Amino acid sequence: MCGISGIVSAEPISRRLLSSIRSQEYRGYDSCGMGTLHEGTLHIRKSTGGVDEVNAKEDLLALQGALGIAHTRWATHGGVTPENAHPHRSMNGEFALAHNGIISNYQELREELKSQGITFHSQTDTEVLVNLVQVAYQTCEDVEEAFVAALHRVEGSFGVILMTPHEPETLFCAKHESPLVIGLGVNENFIGSDINAFLEYTRRALVLEDGEYAVLKRDTCAVKQLSNQQPVDKSVLMVDWDTETTKKGGFAHYMLKEIFDEPHTIRQALKVPDPSIQGLAQILEDSQQGYLMGVGTTYYVAQIAQYLFSQMAGRYLPTISSDEFAEVSSIQSGDAVIAVSQSGETYDTKTALQYAQRQGAKTGAVVNVMGSSISMLVDHVVMQGSGPEICVVSTKAALAQVILLMRTALELGVRTQRLTPEQARGHQAALESLPEAVEASLNEQSGFLRNLARQTHQVQNWLFLGCGIYYPVAMESALKMKEVTYQHAEGMPAGFLKHGTLSLIEPSVHSLFFIPPPEQKGLHDRTLIAMEEIRTRGGTVVGFCFQEDERAQSILHHAIVLPSESTFTAPLLQMVMAQLLSYYTALELKRAIDKPRNLAKSVTVG
Amino acid sequence: MKAVILAANNSPRLQPFTETRAKAMIRVGGHYILEYTLKALGEAGIREVLLVVNHQQDALRRFFGDGSAWGLHLDYVVQEPVLGIGHALEVCRPQLENQSFLLVYGDTLFHGNPYQAALQAYSGSGASVATVALPPSSRDFGNVYLDHEMRITRLVEKPQGAMANYVLAGVFVLTPQIFSCLEACERDMARSLQQLLEATKVQATIWEEGWIDIIYPWHILEANQMVMDTWTHASIDASAKLMGNVQIQGAVVVEENVVIESGTVLKGPCFIGKNSYIGNNTLVRHHSAVGPLSVVGYGSELKNCVIFGSSDLGRLSFIGDSVVGEGVQLGSGVTTVNHHWDQQTVRCSLAEGTIDTQLQKAGAFIGDGSIIGARHTISPGALVPSGTIHSDNLSL
Repeated sequence: MCGISGIVSAEPISRRLLSSIRSQEYRGYDSCGMGTLHEGTLHIRKSTGGVDEVNAKEDLLALQGALGIAHTRWATHGGVTPENAHPHRSMNGEFALAHNGIISNYQELREELKSQGITFHSQTDTEVLVNLVQVAYQTCEDVEEAFVAALHRVEGSFGVILMTPHEPETLFCAKHESPLVIGLGVNENFIGSDINAFLEYTRRALVLEDGEYAVLKRDTCAVKQLSNQQPVDKSVLMVDWDTETTKKGGFAHYMLKEIFDEPHTIRQALKVPDPSIQGLAQILEDSQQGYLMGVGTTYYVAQIAQYLFSQMAGRYLPTISSDEFAEVSSIQSGDAVIAVSQSGETYDTKTALQYAQRQGAKTGAVVNVMGSSISMLVDHVVMQGSGPEICVVSTKAALAQVILLMRTALELGVRTQRLTPEQARGHQAALESLPEAVEASLNEQSGFLRNLARQTHQVQNWLFLGCGIYYPVAMESALKMKEVTYQHAEGMPAGFLKHGTLSLIEPSVHSLFFIPPPEQKGLHDRTLIAMEEIRTRGGTVVGFCFQEDERAQSILHHAIVLPSESTFTAPLLQMVMAQLLSYYTALELKRAIDKPRNLAKSVTVG
Repeated sequence: MKAVILAANNSPRLQPFTETRAKAMIRVGGHYILEYTLKALGEAGIREVLLVVNHQQDALRRFFGDGSAWGLHLDYVVQEPVLGIGHALEVCRPQLENQSFLLVYGDTLFHGNPYQAALQAYSGSGASVATVALPPSSRDFGNVYLDHEMRITRLVEKPQGAMANYVLAGVFVLTPQIFSCLEACERDMARSLQQLLEATKVQATIWEEGWIDIIYPWHILEANQMVMDTWTHASIDASAKLMGNVQIQGAVVVEENVVIESGTVLKGPCFIGKNSYIGNNTLVRHHSAVGPLSVVGYGSELKNCVIFGSSDLGRLSFIGDSVVGEGVQLGSGVTTVNHHWDQQTVRCSLAEGTIDTQLQKAGAFIGDGSIIGARHTISPGALVPSGTIHSDNLSL
């Protein structure tokens, strides 16, 4: 996902163009750029980093001109480099283009253009598109014709804006499966990936539909069909909304959107190339002592992985909260530490990694944001490819991290011969069917979780309990509940209960159990014993269990019954369901879900 | 963009109230449900509305006129005969001029503005949009499956198994493509939507605020509660006369020319419509809405009830968890019994059969123009058809 914008006006536009991409930063923020047309020449400035960072580096505001385009990027393919930032110029410098989407046939088009003598400066699909326009223009000498001809050649998705000195007072834009909206001003017009791009300047919008393009001048806007260039009559949408409403993008909250994104996020994590995973396994295999590290949610992600490395690969990896790492680890040369960080900028984790490096240890990391400090710092990084996560509370990124560490544990398990290749393949198959299971549960169970939240949202004290790997899942889920609902939730191993915490039990204290499938008999029995202990002392027992687990259901006051799942992936399904319960509880309590009080997305201070 | 509101149906499941009015003219929180819809549409930037009418359309036309009171241009389209949603859209088609439009089912009520959210999702995708919500039970609705981009991948009408999905909430932004689907699917809306989402993408926008589809009479009480729960302060019109010792607690709304006699207690949220009279020592409890021109006699008690207006409630009556139509006369001492002694949920006998309301408290649903004499006791969940006359319940 990226954000693009364009303005055609009679006045200087750089300030408004900059603000238009700043207000779309939630669509992507790893690099950005702006281009204007001034006195017959295209001027482009772009670099890596967020909008304000790039402005500080490149002085985007100094760009002159009354017509321009801008882009804020979230890299999908092609690294985060200044060259890969948009806008992109054609080889002869006469066309500039900003693009949101993915052109799927860009490799073959690139080869074709190369054979025609075109050279490329970036790895992007966008540079292919802008050169297609250049080549088409050389034949027809009509910008609109060339723009349409180029778009007929590409497959995939695009929201695209083109400018050129050949038409110095015109912007061309088109849409297919990526959003694009036009804003109609007075003697000026706007384009954006969404209405946020221009809501400060006009409230009259035209929404382009797939297969439409527009020729935009200061005072006119012609919308046509890409297929036959016939004009389309568009009705104007009057936008009376405030910017806060529009930033939610039509969704109630990013948190829910990101939870529903999880099946896709798992698929993306499974697509991360094997060599990347093998690199991480190699670091651990080569080390005398390996460590895992994270802080907050990523600490619990690392704890979940700790169980997997022990069980799958026979490697016990001490797992330490980043802020305590230097205090407690005895890391030294020959050792290794794998860190987990969504933003790649987490101060505590970065500091601990630097400490490990000073001790002579190898470092690895699982990170979501390309080009981030941690991704540059470590010896080997696995990019998780989960897409931007906007809600402060991490859901999809955390799940993807678990998947990637699972894959690493399987890889290491095969290397240490703790797992046979057949066993590893069996687990891999379970991972591959997880997206569908998550998708089905999200769709078919949402209402049950919402009803549970309706009944329990006033509960001020929760115990989240599980045995084995379900223990760190319970810990992570309790953190989620605290973060987003502000209600107290304490996670602990179910076996811990009778060693003290049982004294808290009374009807107002609710416990949420993460119950393994019955075939894991030992774990299952231990979990049910703890449930009985609470139930007989008058506590309220809620739990996630699997179909046909009638024993568990007979103990629970409220059961969320999930479809059967492999023992390997079952804890992950429960992790997702617990995220959903926290979300609906916060919704009932009317909390600031996407930005809980006192919390920030990326903790970059010590 | 134009909006189409469907309000032609005679809604038999909402009888007795729809015997004498269009569903859109059911009053909750002191206003017709269509008023709330029009206000929210205006706030979302809609200016032109096509109102599809048939059943009891004269009163609708009289009250809503050309829509200018809501800052809208309102056009009426008559659906004759009423043959479902797909047919209603076909009837509107000439006026939609091959443009995308906002479709609103006239029997849904929202807390907040779902139309903005739907239009925003449309502006962000250019695709058709369906608003979805998560009701306590999804059995009566079209259940949707959502993918990771919040697109609808599948529709399941009224599922039987253990499922609790998001459901279609009666708000759509539709591109003109819907018409070719309707043609191919014999104007069946459910099948057309299914075909639309197979042929192209349909974006979901999730509505997490309040949402009620008013299907059965007791849903009027829920809708009334939803509206009143948004009220934050009391509002007493300057022309209202509150005699000595009237207590106002919480969000109490009193309109023009109301007279409230001394000793009366009003516990908000509650509503007293214009030109009404509330006798001495009356207790008006939470979520009671007394429509205009009503009279509530001495010593009565009202709780969680909707009285549409122009009704006369005799002295020492109790109206709880009940809906009273327009022009109803209740004699003195009428009691609506609002729960069973054994705490069983209340069941209601409708034309389609007996339905469990799933409510432990539900009183009577009394149609327009009914006259019920003194000292009657009305059983929980009783439906009283419009124009029913019962003489006084005399013991000597």
